[in-house]
Amino acid sequence: MELELGLALPGSDLIAELGLSSEKSTGMCRKRGFDNMFYRATSPPLFVQKDGDDGDGDDDDGHFNHLQELNLGSRVLVGWPPVRVSRRKSEEGGKRRVNCVKVNMEGVAIGRKVDLSLHDSYQALFLTLSHMFPKKQHDAEESDAAYHKVTYEDEDGDWMLVGDVPWEAFIQSVKRLKILN
Amino acid sequence: MVRGFGGAAAFPDEVWELVFSFLAADADRNAVALVCRGWHRIERRSRRRVFVGNCYAVAPAAAVRRFPEVRAAAIKGKPHFADFNLVPTDWGGGAEAWVEAMAGGWPHLEELRLKRMVVSDDCLELIARSFKNFGVLSLVSCDGFSTAGLAAIAANCRNLRELDLHENEVEDNCLNWISHFPESFTSLVSLNIACLEGDMNTSVLECLISRCPNLKTLRLNHAMPLEKLVSLLQRAPQLVDLGTSKFSADHHPELLSKVESTFAGFKHLKSLSGIWEAGPAYLPAIYSVCESLTSLNLYYATIQSPELLKLVSECKNLQRLWVMDLIEDNGLIAVASSCKLLQELRVFPSDPYGVAPPISLTEHGLVAISAGCLMLHSVLYFCRQMTNAALLTIANNRPNLTCFRLCIIDPHTPDYISQEPLDAGFSAIVESCKDLRRLSLSGLLTDRVFKSIGASANRLEMLSVAFAGDSDVGLHYILSGCKNLRKLEIRDCPFGDKALLDNTSKLETMRSLWMSSCSVTLGACRQLAQKMPRLNVEVIDERRGRPLESWPDDFPIEKLYIYRTVAGPRSDTPPCVWTV
Repeated sequence: MELELGLALPGSDLIAELGLSSEKSTGMCRKRGFDNMFYRATSPPLFVQKDGDDGDGDDDDGHFNHLQELNLGSRVLVGWPPVRVSRRKSEEGGKRRVNCVKVNMEGVAIGRKVDLSLHDSYQALFLTLSHMFPKKQHDAEESDAAYHKVTYEDEDGDWMLVGDVPWEAFIQSVKRLKILN
Repeated sequence: MVRGFGGAAAFPDEVWELVFSFLAADADRNAVALVCRGWHRIERRSRRRVFVGNCYAVAPAAAVRRFPEVRAAAIKGKPHFADFNLVPTDWGGGAEAWVEAMAGGWPHLEELRLKRMVVSDDCLELIARSFKNFGVLSLVSCDGFSTAGLAAIAANCRNLRELDLHENEVEDNCLNWISHFPESFTSLVSLNIACLEGDMNTSVLECLISRCPNLKTLRLNHAMPLEKLVSLLQRAPQLVDLGTSKFSADHHPELLSKVESTFAGFKHLKSLSGIWEAGPAYLPAIYSVCESLTSLNLYYATIQSPELLKLVSECKNLQRLWVMDLIEDNGLIAVASSCKLLQELRVFPSDPYGVAPPISLTEHGLVAISAGCLMLHSVLYFCRQMTNAALLTIANNRPNLTCFRLCIIDPHTPDYISQEPLDAGFSAIVESCKDLRRLSLSGLLTDRVFKSIGASANRLEMLSVAFAGDSDVGLHYILSGCKNLRKLEIRDCPFGDKALLDNTSKLETMRSLWMSSCSVTLGACRQLAQKMPRLNVEVIDERRGRPLESWPDDFPIEKLYIYRTVAGPRSDTPPCVWTV
């Protein structure tokens, strides 16, 4: 296995491919890219535009810096579903405790670290992971919508599948993550 | 016009005051005040309760001047969508102006209830010092204050009966604020501190509870360990409404029997909430109170289905149930057969962002409830799938629904069997439920559903719409129908200028309209504001820095909040808000 030691993040070629840097991205590009990244085989997650865009002005008409949004752990769709979220817990610069866990992918020598306190949902976490460890091109053909399976080691030392428990319970017990190939 | 038929002059004022005192509804008192100058004068001087649904609809000084003898006031600030972070944090809703006016004009004020307002510690201190007979403070969904402000309330309000803090964002900088209640203080009847995050000094709390024999409601925060909770509760067996703290601990037979005996000692308990992180070990200790419960809130109890099912099946007299979707369809079917007196059901999503394996809570659970619970009138239901057939069944089963809020989590979700929009289902709801006062829509919806709502929802007062409709016609149907509509909140719908401009006078009959991520332009807002001087048309835009005046008419509005007011444009708008 070759180690590619570049200064850019492993996912940066993916970002360039999707045209998601500081330029305004076209809806089509985004849709295709995100559809490939998601764990669920069912309908795409909330912020992917469905066909028949209803022109509701929700398309980021300004500058869309994807990585920046990922790092803040914020969803593109604000306030949906309509559940109350404590603002104090979601405000950046608030008294958030950093919660870094190591992430390794099977067969990849270099691991990464992800700060869970910057994420507020599994959706956000998977997005970050998919950028840190993007799916290879040939994989994209066989399983259209699924990302790799992700497991985590909990406080008891057991390895569990990520996504089984409510998010708040997960972030309290997770010790490290492993992405299966 | 003939003067009198007895009229105001025939009886002394006191007689009319007594007659008016039997009118509980504000609407009735308002009507009385319009009859003649005499009645207006008598009514205003004898009104004791005031409700201000929008703090900017009237100037505080005007309200205080008109009703000089008010003893109880309730005021609301931010729009409802502030609960979901759609309203900028600095938008407004500050309580200072009101508290200052009340401190000056209503020295005999006894009760103050604020909702979605920004309340500073200074405000709390002013409240604590200004009203000698202050008895009830209720803060719901407020922010801006800390436990230092609460300490001022505790220290100064000698006759405080009720301190109700519900879902507020409170800074914790005074850990021992509870100890500021003096030793001589014994009047507490209701204490709700569930939203506070910090640890409480248990012995101080125990002391307080022991010396307040009239305490009926106690809702604690999650911080107190179970052993300490138990010793606290043993001091208050007379409780009617209990919100526990953390309900889990390492398994200990001695502790378990203490919990059991404590709960067995509650002879009057009707309402139970809290039960944070309930573990299967201690949950059965609650069973002894289940039969007497009329209200059960399991929002914080991440209990899984088998235990959950057993618990709710014991609650034969339940009228209100708030629960997570972990209850699943099976659990709701059990509720439908056990809880025949159920009036209000709320089912919340345990995993709103939906990446975990799906919970088995579908439309079937709600249909079962609608069939089995004949007294059901209020529903809030989060789920991932729905059919028109299910909604039709629910509508036919429960024409007595007054509140129906359905949230299908993924926007634009159609009937999953027919793939049709859910127009037919929601239309059935509004056509069958003639007394429907509150409705929230979700799923795939076209303009057709709005036609039905506009035509049939005659008692509807509040409507929430998201990701629905095809065109302006949808909004037009609503604004030209819905005779009693008071609050309309819309997000991410293709509604725009025409519907607004064709229905300008409707907006003055409503309390407020919120529209975000729709298709309204600045030009329409300008026209609307020009035409309707008694509306405040607030344009909210957090993106740009340039002033409103320089933007062109076709500029798309990000967020729009329109409300009727007799106070004119407000003077406390932040940089991101412009009153057009």
